[in-house]
Amino acid sequence: MTGGRDTACRRQLGRGLVRRSFKLGQNPLDMTIRDIVLIALFAAIIVAFGLVPVIPVAGLPVPITLQNLAVMLAGAILGPRRGAAATALVMLLVAIGLPVLSGGRGGLGMLLGPSGGFLFGFIAGAFVIGWLAARFARVRGPAWKENGLSILACIAGGIGVCYAMGIPWLALATGLPLEKAALGALVFLPGDLAKAVVAGLVARGVRRVYPIPLK
Amino acid sequence: MTAPLYSPGDSLLHRAPASAKLAGLVVLGTAVFLTADLALLLPAALAGVLLLAIVRPPRARLTRQLAGSAILIGLVALIAGLSQGWHQAAVVALRFSAIVLAALAVTLSTRAADMLEAIEALLAPLDRRGLVDSARIALAVSLVLRFVPDILGHYREIREAQAARGLDANPLALIVPLVVRTLKDADDIAAAIEARGFPPDRPGR
Amino acid sequence: MRHPDPSTSADNAAVVTVELDRAGVVIDGRTIIAPTTLTLKERRIGVIGANGSGKSTFARLLNGLVVPTTGAVRIDGLDTAREAAKIRRSVGFVFQNPDNQIVFPIIAEDMAFGLKNSGLAKVEIPTRVTAELARLGIAHLVERASHSLSGGEKQLAALAAVLVMRPKLVVFDEPTTLLDLKNRNRIRAVIDALAASALVVTHDLDLVERFDRVLVIEDGRIAADDTPRAAIAWYRERAAA
Repeated sequence: MTGGRDTACRRQLGRGLVRRSFKLGQNPLDMTIRDIVLIALFAAIIVAFGLVPVIPVAGLPVPITLQNLAVMLAGAILGPRRGAAATALVMLLVAIGLPVLSGGRGGLGMLLGPSGGFLFGFIAGAFVIGWLAARFARVRGPAWKENGLSILACIAGGIGVCYAMGIPWLALATGLPLEKAALGALVFLPGDLAKAVVAGLVARGVRRVYPIPLK
Repeated sequence: MTAPLYSPGDSLLHRAPASAKLAGLVVLGTAVFLTADLALLLPAALAGVLLLAIVRPPRARLTRQLAGSAILIGLVALIAGLSQGWHQAAVVALRFSAIVLAALAVTLSTRAADMLEAIEALLAPLDRRGLVDSARIALAVSLVLRFVPDILGHYREIREAQAARGLDANPLALIVPLVVRTLKDADDIAAAIEARGFPPDRPGR
Repeated sequence: MRHPDPSTSADNAAVVTVELDRAGVVIDGRTIIAPTTLTLKERRIGVIGANGSGKSTFARLLNGLVVPTTGAVRIDGLDTAREAAKIRRSVGFVFQNPDNQIVFPIIAEDMAFGLKNSGLAKVEIPTRVTAELARLGIAHLVERASHSLSGGEKQLAALAAVLVMRPKLVVFDEPTTLLDLKNRNRIRAVIDALAASALVVTHDLDLVERFDRVLVIEDGRIAADDTPRAAIAWYRERAAA
């Protein structure tokens, strides 16, 4: 039943457009205008969440920003390709020199610096979250189970994949042994876990109110 | 808010084409990883300082952008120093200083629109093969800049509405309605874009 | 303020013919618009009806934003299901919420968007944009950030972005619903002065009082189709019952 009404509306609204794209042999990724808009709006949410006041968490030395929570949401709500595209779009804005990362940072230096791997890891992470979420979305069960799977997807992509790219980059770039680099990243783990839980719950909450097909 | 980091000026770097500056960064970024010789890395880092001096950005903007990087580079160098000796620490610190300073100089001296154009030119071969569509990318970039303030506004509205009902700040109750509202808006925005004739017919493609 | 460009006013003044040929919309087994056959040739057409009656879908049928699931809709003989791109060049659409209609960060960019899509030469765009803004009395907004405008300014700017395309027909979907009285009157004046044909979907009965023809939509059907006076009276009676 998920997204039945939504797909019908899209078929309805996008029919002429999709046909035209196929005719021109354009747009092999099969992105409709609505997809582009969803990607851009989620990129805007990612940027906006870097600007809203940070949530101080007692006992944590680093401020918690909501930016990577929004990245997880992009994957979990839009699906793999659109979620990764939304995140990549934010990185494009970083590259062209807009201060869209949390704390008003931006520019090519952010992408090329020691923590650049985490930023690229966001893109891959959003994809993996979306991919898992699409698979888990078919599972029906009690609330705890659906919530659990949604959170699991966010942890796997938002932490697993992101760290898997960020830590080796950090190690490679700095010549640090891998385990030392991993130790450094550990500071962020409690906050990131908390955010993965919130993202997983939000994603399921949104899907219950306003389901859209994961794409 | 999403005002670009670009700082207007008329320096050598401001006048250089964005594509050349991008190419220079790629060369520098590769070169500093090919050597661990301090006699080469120190001049590279100093060159970064020199580039920034040429661009002459406002001091406040400079410190804000550099502060985060400086802490990170210092931290990384410290760990490297403790575990692998101070020579490696100097290598790491100089390497990243060179990249970050040069990249910041490029960012501060290049208009976002010019940078976007350079990136589009870079993507042009992919565009011709139909793997990406630069018109759509440009549209998406504009849409993000257009809707960030609106989303911040919605965030504030929802928070106020919940405070008015005596609810505490609960991330779920805050973010779910925000996302749902955004998803609903997407239909209207897409319709508005289609209503104005996008994508344009491009004969011969 | 009311001097449409003489070079185009002639063809703009030409009346557009809208034909619904057993056109119906069914989404997920639910009938939104029942099969309807209708020809509209008037310069000012009002569409009124209760919330959820199908008014918005009806409006979206006219420029191909919604294509009929049965039958056909033709604008000056062009089928909306096949020629949406061409039709959108002559049929403008003004949405209820200008926040979702203005899609670029700066007003000038937003107005240029449609013109670029239509293939107008780059050098001509700024002239067209400033002329249109001046005609609507909002020339000062040209370089303003979209999100910084007031509600009334936003609706005028959204309207300007549609009118700058010099459409032959403008479809309005509740253009005054979100506005205060002063801005409502302003939009009303713009609609009255329009050289192009206009079809206005609205709850604002005063707005369609002096129109040429008014349709009342009820549960996806044209329940009344008459002069404004008769149609409004009929609608008021139904609403009271």
